[in-house]
Amino acid sequence: MPIEVKHLTHVYMPGTPFEAKALSEVSLSIRDGEFVGIIGHTGSGKSTLITHLNGLEHSEPGVVFVNGVDLGEKDTDLIAIRRVVGLVFQYPEYQLFEETVAKDVAFGPTNLGLDAGEISERVQTALKQVGLDPASVSEKSPFELSGGQKRRVAIAGVLAMRPSILILDEPAAGLDPSGRRDMFDLIRGIHASGVTVVMVSHSMDDVGRLCDRLFVLNRGEIAYSGTPAEVFVHESKLHAIGLDVPECAKLARRLRDAGFDMPEGIYRTEDVCAAIMDNLTQKGDAKC
Amino acid sequence: MLKNITLGQYFPGDSFIHRLDPRTKLLATVALIAIVFVAQGFSGFLLIAAFVVACAVSTGIHLKFLIRGLKPIMLIIIFTFFLNLFFQTGGNELVHIGFLRITDQGLRTAAFMATRLILLVVCSQLLTLTTSPIALTDGLESLFRPLEAIHFPAHEIAMMMSIALRFIPTLMDEADKIMKAQKARGANFETGSLVQRAKAMVPLLVPLFVGAFRRAEDLALAMDARCYRGGAGRTRMKQLKFGKNDLLAGLAILLLLAAVIGLNAIKAF
Repeated sequence: MPIEVKHLTHVYMPGTPFEAKALSEVSLSIRDGEFVGIIGHTGSGKSTLITHLNGLEHSEPGVVFVNGVDLGEKDTDLIAIRRVVGLVFQYPEYQLFEETVAKDVAFGPTNLGLDAGEISERVQTALKQVGLDPASVSEKSPFELSGGQKRRVAIAGVLAMRPSILILDEPAAGLDPSGRRDMFDLIRGIHASGVTVVMVSHSMDDVGRLCDRLFVLNRGEIAYSGTPAEVFVHESKLHAIGLDVPECAKLARRLRDAGFDMPEGIYRTEDVCAAIMDNLTQKGDAKC
Repeated sequence: MLKNITLGQYFPGDSFIHRLDPRTKLLATVALIAIVFVAQGFSGFLLIAAFVVACAVSTGIHLKFLIRGLKPIMLIIIFTFFLNLFFQTGGNELVHIGFLRITDQGLRTAAFMATRLILLVVCSQLLTLTTSPIALTDGLESLFRPLEAIHFPAHEIAMMMSIALRFIPTLMDEADKIMKAQKARGANFETGSLVQRAKAMVPLLVPLFVGAFRRAEDLALAMDARCYRGGAGRTRMKQLKFGKNDLLAGLAILLLLAAVIGLNAIKAF
């Protein structure tokens, strides 16, 4: 089990008037090679949860295991954990600082203490992986690039550490529709190369399209979990906690309510289209 | 690491002192500081201390917050104490260690100076604990308004102060985020030599400054878009008004001043 979280509770500024519970009794496990989505309303504890997964935060009570290693233990090598669990924060382009793109991507591998040859090889691969041409961007200042390119560079900076688990917090936030599409293609490619991916989002459409399994967070607790189909069944309850189901799932539900023969638990555009087509052809047959 | 920094230590409450006009509190604090300097003996200090502690208790703020505020200047207080203790040469000798002589007068001056410093800090603490930073800048702007006749930019300074105060939590938040992001990339901020640690700050400071400039530009644009053009002819939503309570507070301060002067006079006889 690459990631296992048990009874994690996190309280911000305990013992002050500003005390706030961000997580309470969260337990979850993520299997090798999965594409997991964590969804929740703003302030539901999503971001707090992921900072626990690579040991940036530590809370009592609760335990977090990464590949069987307890992150709460005093002698756990957190640098080694961060090499396994890559974390891409929201708006990662704001963490760029080096003079050139290549140097910035090299920051992570350099911290790992790798030799120069290995580092430059990793930088090249990571830049290619995020769809940038190493020859043309390497020597540019990251601040000259466009917003979308900056974000790619930032993601390359995490990929260059070659994590086996990649966590992304709202990777498509603030991107235009084509940028979002490219970003999701990129993430899908990373997942296809064998990396376990955890994506945080508040868009059901995005997680529904990409993820194998979802965890829905509400006020620091896991409200629902399971495959997208299992989660989207709770449409009205999801609505009550400020979330939505994908547009296609909504359409399917409304057609079902109107008496059409739509199977339960479909949410993918293709599946819903197919079901509508089935209905149409059945009707056509009846007429003939 | 960033949790230890507390700026603007306002402690929300609804006591008599909390509700006072910020100008009253500012002037009262200045007056209190002056009174601390007027006092010439420990009896005066005792009176002032009693007054300050009574004020603190009435605000509902735990005394430990006042004491905590003394920590940063503890070193200065101790230094002052010993400086006075060893180098005040008048009076009767009490102890003699090597070249150091401690006299009764030295001991008295040392204790006097240390007490004075502590009282000064506690008085200003009382102001910042009971007044929100925004109220404080409003009060300052209003008090410095008359100086605009000699082209003192009271409004501009107050506006800069409130903007700075407004952005401290934002920037601290951002620093925290960037730090976490760099730590996720294996950065190490905690260990290493002084030079290594200074170097480790670069990945934190560069994005922080870039972000601060970006925010400043955005804010300037937003203020421009809402036709901000300085303080001339500007009205405010929260009008500062002196009330009966402010008069009472003023009287209390005057009474304290009179009492301290009285005590000085008794001593003089």
